[in-house]
Amino acid sequence: MRKTLHGLVGGTAFAVVGALGLNTAAAEALVAGVEASFPPWAYVEDGEYKGIAIDAMRAIAEDQDMEVEFKDLPWPSLIPALAKGRIDLLVTGLNITEERNEVLDFSIPWWENDDEVLVAEDSELNVVTALCCGATVGAQGGATQFQWLEDNLAANDDVGITLRSYEDYVTAVEDMGAGRLDAVVTSTDTAEDFIAKDRPVKIVGTIQQNQPQALAVEKGDPNEILSKLNAGIMNIYESGQWSEIVKEYSPQSTIRSIPTSMPDYVDAYEEPIPGYSD
Amino acid sequence: MIVEIIISQMPYLLHGLWVALQLLVCLLALGLVLGLSLALLEVYGHWTLRWLGILFERIFRGIPAIVLLLLFYYGVTDFVEIGSFTAAVLALGLRSAAYQSQIFRGCILSVPPGQMQAARAMGMSKMKAVRDIVLPQALRLSIGPWTNEFSSEMKATSLAYVIGVVELTRQAKYIISSTQGNILIVFAVVAALYFIFNRLGNWGLYKLEKRLAVPGFEQRGDA
Repeated sequence: MRKTLHGLVGGTAFAVVGALGLNTAAAEALVAGVEASFPPWAYVEDGEYKGIAIDAMRAIAEDQDMEVEFKDLPWPSLIPALAKGRIDLLVTGLNITEERNEVLDFSIPWWENDDEVLVAEDSELNVVTALCCGATVGAQGGATQFQWLEDNLAANDDVGITLRSYEDYVTAVEDMGAGRLDAVVTSTDTAEDFIAKDRPVKIVGTIQQNQPQALAVEKGDPNEILSKLNAGIMNIYESGQWSEIVKEYSPQSTIRSIPTSMPDYVDAYEEPIPGYSD
Repeated sequence: MIVEIIISQMPYLLHGLWVALQLLVCLLALGLVLGLSLALLEVYGHWTLRWLGILFERIFRGIPAIVLLLLFYYGVTDFVEIGSFTAAVLALGLRSAAYQSQIFRGCILSVPPGQMQAARAMGMSKMKAVRDIVLPQALRLSIGPWTNEFSSEMKATSLAYVIGVVELTRQAKYIISSTQGNILIVFAVVAALYFIFNRLGNWGLYKLEKRLAVPGFEQRGDA
């Protein structure tokens, strides 16, 4: 009996040491952080990473002879993880903003988005009543939509909305289905994806943002990958691979010419832009 | 349609469960070794060691698991290169050590002091008396309360996704987001998986408790 007890203790100690040892093997590949619950940009289906950003990144990696592996982190963790160097680049539907420009460097923008106001299918609300006068509105915490709602509507007492933050848009839309939210504000792609997948929601209005999206790397580009990303983006765009990928995941989308609008506050867009200007 | 989705996605849910199981075994093992050492220090150690043990235990029992996970993944990794899984094992394992030390400390103290006195009177060294007389009784007693720790740590593994460990809860979120919905049914299945896993673990622990019981010596009723 004593042997059993001693064996248990000794065996488990061995298991711990073994498991920790296995994990330290360093990988040479670049680690691309994604938020894999964000269709059509990045998600997991049947155990595989899929989506526009995933496939485009794979194509860029092939074009530029890079080795990339994906790592899934929840959305609010992604930018801190990149700023801390836990991941090497960020590959998802990432909007370019001034705050983010402070902590990371963007590739040339490959997409532009507006924001859509979603309400329940049977809702009587219109674009005005859904965003004022006591309405409760949901958005993803840390997302540009949330920031916009907070700065422009929630901060203004005359508008009178209650803003709620969610970890992802699926939960927000589900909460609207349960009657706890009057409206959800999300990007055009995500809104269209919800409708394409038959969720009981409708778009009542568009907030024109012309919000450019890009890939991002650590501030100062310590691994020197920005030039490869920019060159890769241009190559897959010019070869037509990009529009194939976008059409596969989001057939209703119009392909915009790359680069889309480049905000002048972005440090990485100062001439010459590596991999693009030359 | 959702039933088909669940059936076709079951292998991924089970893989998530497997990751959760690995995480659980590693963190409980780390907690067991360290927790038992801490308990021995707190009961028999020099006062400085005892004080350190108590400090460690207070700190790790006083911080939420999710905060520990974030601290280890973003803080500790500034100094040492460790992956998500290792960070989760350390954060949850050290926390578990703090809880387990209290289980073991209580059980060591519940062995009547007369046992130690008798062992010493027979000429055993203190070390030998602890190893051969006190611990075999204390460890048997600790299995009951340890089942609680097993259950709560198993549930705590579901937090590890915040630092990028793709375990059962994260796999469930993948299904929810790739189908843009079905939260209720997917999480119902996940709840059932956790429940079965938990029951099996506790069943095994009660079995172990029975097998190790000294006939006529302990009086715990059937669970």
